[in-house]
Amino acid sequence: MPQATLGFVEEILLLQLDDTHGRFIDLPLSAADVVLAGAALMELALDNRVDSDLEQLILVDRTPTGDDILDDVLVELGQAGAGLSVAAALERISANAEKYQERALKRLVAKGILREDDGRFLWVFHTRRYPVVDDREPREVKARLRQLLLTDEIPDPRDVVLICLIDACGLLDLVLTPDEIAETKLRVEQLSRLDLIGQAVIKAVAEIRFIVKNAAATLY
Amino acid sequence: MEFAQEQVGDVVIVKLAGRLDSSAAQPAEESLTRALAGGTPHLAIDMSALQYISSAGLRVLLVVAKKVQQAKGKVVLFGLGPNVREVFSISGFDKIFSIEADAASAVAAVR
Repeated sequence: MPQATLGFVEEILLLQLDDTHGRFIDLPLSAADVVLAGAALMELALDNRVDSDLEQLILVDRTPTGDDILDDVLVELGQAGAGLSVAAALERISANAEKYQERALKRLVAKGILREDDGRFLWVFHTRRYPVVDDREPREVKARLRQLLLTDEIPDPRDVVLICLIDACGLLDLVLTPDEIAETKLRVEQLSRLDLIGQAVIKAVAEIRFIVKNAAATLY
Repeated sequence: MEFAQEQVGDVVIVKLAGRLDSSAAQPAEESLTRALAGGTPHLAIDMSALQYISSAGLRVLLVVAKKVQQAKGKVVLFGLGPNVREVFSISGFDKIFSIEADAASAVAAVR
């Protein structure tokens, strides 16, 4: 498999962007933050900087990676101390997710993948859009994941992470048709379970969605 | 982490002992990859002395399973203790791998 050109944080941000308008998909803000935190943690896990089991997240190597997002996360985990559960680590890291998102988007602009369009909506809200300039990376990812989900092929660990992330974001429709989503429900569930951090991300996002839905139902 | 390898006919049995975590992941992957070398792999992994497996350890097994699939070979695990079995069950790795109770049934299954 070729070396991934983008980290998971950048990758999932790209996948969350509407191709045409450069706006983010509709996901509760705190859920998007958890997804970003999970992406960073799983990147560190694949880089052998953190490990996890059914009980806890283990900081294995806090040597800086040279990636300012991942290095901030390593510092954060170091400050949190030992014995942190994956869920607690996600919560802690997601508190800084907005900052990480900003950095990742700037990187994508610098790499020529996104273009930043500054605009003002009325004169109160400042909205920023990120139209996709070069869509090769997301197209390749979508094609690879589609192939994986529609066959019995065993995924490699990077693809497991991406499946966890798009499942958590409810983005399966980026790679599958509605009929295929129904047909591959079990396969998606099976592959999403393969990463323990990914499992925690999906669970946390589902809980946030549940709370938001219930809150909305109470309001109306 | 300790590794031992034996050949039973065309089947390679690799025994993993101790803790398969981030510190053991690289040597474990190298050891298991060596066992796949040469022809169609028929691999049985003895987990009876494996006391602990972390996410990093699971990833090693996933990578090995993918290599075996690509080489159109077979891989079977056997002798999982309760701790390791629980991790396999929760992570769904018991759906990726064939799991047998002992060496004899694993060797028969992988042939």
